[in-house]
Amino acid sequence: MTLTQDSGVAVGQAGPRRRRRSRRRLLVGAAGILAALVGWEIAAYIVGDPVTMPTVQETARELQHYLAHPYPQVQGKTLVEDGLISTGRILAGFGIGTAAGLVLGAAMAGVRVIRELADPIVGVMRPLPPIAFIPLLVVWFGIGEASKVALICFSVLPVVTIATLGALDAVPAELSHASRSLGASSFHTMLHVRLRAAVPGVITGMRIAMGGAWTSIVAAEMIAATGGVGFLILQAGNYLQTPLIFSGIAVIAVLGFVFDGLLRLLLRAADPTARR
Amino acid sequence: MSATVEDPPVTDRPAAVRLRDVGKTFRRRRRETTALEGVSLDIAPGEFLCLVGPSGCGKSTLLAILAGFTPADTGEVLVDGRPVTGPGPERGVLFQTPTLFPWLTTRQNVLYGPRARGVLTPEVREEAAGLLETVGLSEFADAYPHELSGGMRHRAAFARVLINHPRVLLMDEPFGALDAITRAGMQRFLLELWQRQRTTIVFVTHDVEEATLLGDRVSVLSGRPGRTKAVIDIELRRPRTYEDTETLAFVTAKRRIREVLEQ
Repeated sequence: MTLTQDSGVAVGQAGPRRRRRSRRRLLVGAAGILAALVGWEIAAYIVGDPVTMPTVQETARELQHYLAHPYPQVQGKTLVEDGLISTGRILAGFGIGTAAGLVLGAAMAGVRVIRELADPIVGVMRPLPPIAFIPLLVVWFGIGEASKVALICFSVLPVVTIATLGALDAVPAELSHASRSLGASSFHTMLHVRLRAAVPGVITGMRIAMGGAWTSIVAAEMIAATGGVGFLILQAGNYLQTPLIFSGIAVIAVLGFVFDGLLRLLLRAADPTARR
Repeated sequence: MSATVEDPPVTDRPAAVRLRDVGKTFRRRRRETTALEGVSLDIAPGEFLCLVGPSGCGKSTLLAILAGFTPADTGEVLVDGRPVTGPGPERGVLFQTPTLFPWLTTRQNVLYGPRARGVLTPEVREEAAGLLETVGLSEFADAYPHELSGGMRHRAAFARVLINHPRVLLMDEPFGALDAITRAGMQRFLLELWQRQRTTIVFVTHDVEEATLLGDRVSVLSGRPGRTKAVIDIELRRPRTYEDTETLAFVTAKRRIREVLEQ
């Protein structure tokens, strides 16, 4: 049988080229960060006041010191401990919020009554800044962990719900039809085609929600907490410890980058088109 | 050379596909649109039937009814003597887009049907490898759909359907979105495939030349609501090749269909 020889992307040769491209991207990205640090350093020398604008070396020294030493010295925690406290709150709140958002979004996509019931509620809740609810959550749950976890849930839930609903709605009907006419049951199709096809969109929603979760947790720790990176930054600010403020911000940046990186890995695993 | 039948004769000879007075009406925002009205058609086993008609005449709806995606409002739809109640692997469907599952490799896409039905055996895997060879995708078995060209995706979709050994192939303008060169290649591929396997094929198209080249018979539907205007026999020799499109007999047959279409 003669075959149609149309040109496709040759899969074999894409490997090394892709690797070269990703190494290049890494180098350029590192150069960007380096340039930002150089800019910071120049600004610090121009300002010439360590309280307003500490140099990079000073900040790095403080960061290194407080990674292992508590601040404030009495009853304080190290940067690592504060980082872990914040991370724990994020993980708990993000986990619960994501799970609830997935269930709610899927239920809205699948059951018309639930969609009509929940749609206006989610629509009203979404533009509300979660931070506005901190005092209320403190009244309800106290200043312990529960109020922080609840706050993060609160910020994550609408984002993941809308992402899940949107991703499920966007799955073309033909994909389900194809699955059914290939002999799959409607349950198998629901699980392996409709839900599976929505996974990349859901993960993208989770990435957006993760950014919001960090915003909320730092704000909550600044208002009512006795630990966490937000609490540390506020303390450092009260005593004009500018290098420590920068250190706290750096810790948040690193943690945020790591979590986003993990979600990006998840996206790559779930979506072959994201592997570039 | 071609016989026009205004009302398809109702016979009792065995048919792979039998449609009797099939009607379908869509209701949207309190407005009723009759997509199909009183369509009757018999398709013999191993026959290649093309459905042509102006856009919006309900030919895709008819195919969706045959596939079992939408139920008919009135009439009878039988495939192999059994009424159609839902989608099934004995009726392979090829859509206008290849609708491969983007998260599966070409091979996993082909094995989707057997896996979903729990009949994935080593023999089926071997057969899948053979099918990939047939459609010229052996080298791309582990590539993902987005790494394939348009024509390759369509051939992968073919293999995915063929592994189920469908009794009937339902094709809804499968090459409509392809460029002219790739489309010609796919038509040649389909003709060779049908020549070997002789599966019953229902092929929806709005391209008169394509219908003439591929079909044993061409059923022409009228504009909305869709009705069978005529069924035209294409008595060109088989096996057909793309070169046949330049013969006088071909051009005559094509003109005949166009005349009925424009009546």
